[in-house]
Amino acid sequence: MKIYQPYGLGDCLDLLSELPQAETVILAGGTDLMPRYEQGKVLPEHLINIKHLADLQGITETENGAEIGGLTTIETLRRSGLIHRDYPALWQSTEQFAGVQIRNRATLAGNIANASPAGDTLSPLYLYHAKLKLMSRHATRTIRLEDFIAGPGETTQERGELIHSIILPRVTGSSCFYKLGLREAMAISVVNYALRYSQSAGELTDLEITAGAVAPTIVFLDALTTAVLSGETNSTVWRALIGQDIAPIDDIRASADYRRKVLGRLITHHLQNLGVVCHE
Amino acid sequence: MHIKFYLNGKVVEADVPAGMNLLEYLRSVSVFSVKRGCDHGECGSCTVLMDDKTRNACLILMGTLDGERIETLEGLNADRRMELMQAAFLDEGAIQCGYCTPAMLLALESLLRANSKPDDAAIKAAFSGIYCRCTGYVKPMVAAKKVVMGEVDG
Repeated sequence: MKIYQPYGLGDCLDLLSELPQAETVILAGGTDLMPRYEQGKVLPEHLINIKHLADLQGITETENGAEIGGLTTIETLRRSGLIHRDYPALWQSTEQFAGVQIRNRATLAGNIANASPAGDTLSPLYLYHAKLKLMSRHATRTIRLEDFIAGPGETTQERGELIHSIILPRVTGSSCFYKLGLREAMAISVVNYALRYSQSAGELTDLEITAGAVAPTIVFLDALTTAVLSGETNSTVWRALIGQDIAPIDDIRASADYRRKVLGRLITHHLQNLGVVCHE
Repeated sequence: MHIKFYLNGKVVEADVPAGMNLLEYLRSVSVFSVKRGCDHGECGSCTVLMDDKTRNACLILMGTLDGERIETLEGLNADRRMELMQAAFLDEGAIQCGYCTPAMLLALESLLRANSKPDDAAIKAAFSGIYCRCTGYVKPMVAAKKVVMGEVDG
């Protein structure tokens, strides 16, 4: 294995375009890559360590929201007043993200590129309709996050492309993130969801919910939110509608049946707490 | 590949396989305070400090270490604050098997470098990436609070 350490974005994009794609892997924080490497699941010929690319660092407030450099660590997001204030669901996901050692190293672009159905930052990023700025030597394109993530561990990243930054539009209303794990720290989500709503005179005027670890990718619970906004109050119907948008599996952390039930209960409870009329 | 980095304040130059991780390297040069537990970034037993922050050594490739500043307990044993932390852990019985203790001490050291008066929540968060199966974290919390309050007889 040969390790490359570009200090400039141009040099990095040159490497990405010149090295054979199938044998080249990008290393950011390494918290997902290293365990796979040690297990022999990823054995690249060429490893590009991008941690020195200053262009990909930091959080900037923009006219329309915020732009987060791909190499921004989870801990940096957790300490950001801007993220805490404007993107509370994302901030909450960083609070519950692994432990300090991992947060100090794991990057936001890495969590995206890893494309885990249980990636903690993903439900909030979907909820906020995040876009990615992808750069290659020849082009720069902007793509919606949900068009980038194609399935577990699968993305539509093209040859020579690097995630430069994550673009968040300005958000209206209130939002939050909830994660159910088997312990408080160092736990991978059994289920998680992010929820955004607006209220006027005690009535919901807007509602969006995304859920993680219940399908191959993060899903929007559109069937549920459309019905709730139209005045549906029967929680049995709510849970059936949630079921339409998810496809959970059995794995080491929980069964599909448990995931379906617990997500339904958690969201029903959450909506009741928001004052939504609910009949069993 | 040839690399140069700082270990406990001293320059280290080494020829290492590019795919070797820092945990393997440290144990190969008898830095035994850094423990091997899960080997995939979960247990925190291999915690080291990199630029004052805690990191899992098992997740750091030697080939990416050029110019970095790494610290382990071996470099801090003579430090006055570390002596007080160790005294507090001993006084409170915050050590049982001891496997996670170096990691806990480094986590506390890292926290105190950034914040000399952390509250309980901050201490808890600092310990959160370290698995301890003996103490239930209660006694390490008590010991850490004694250090923060300056109540250690060292």
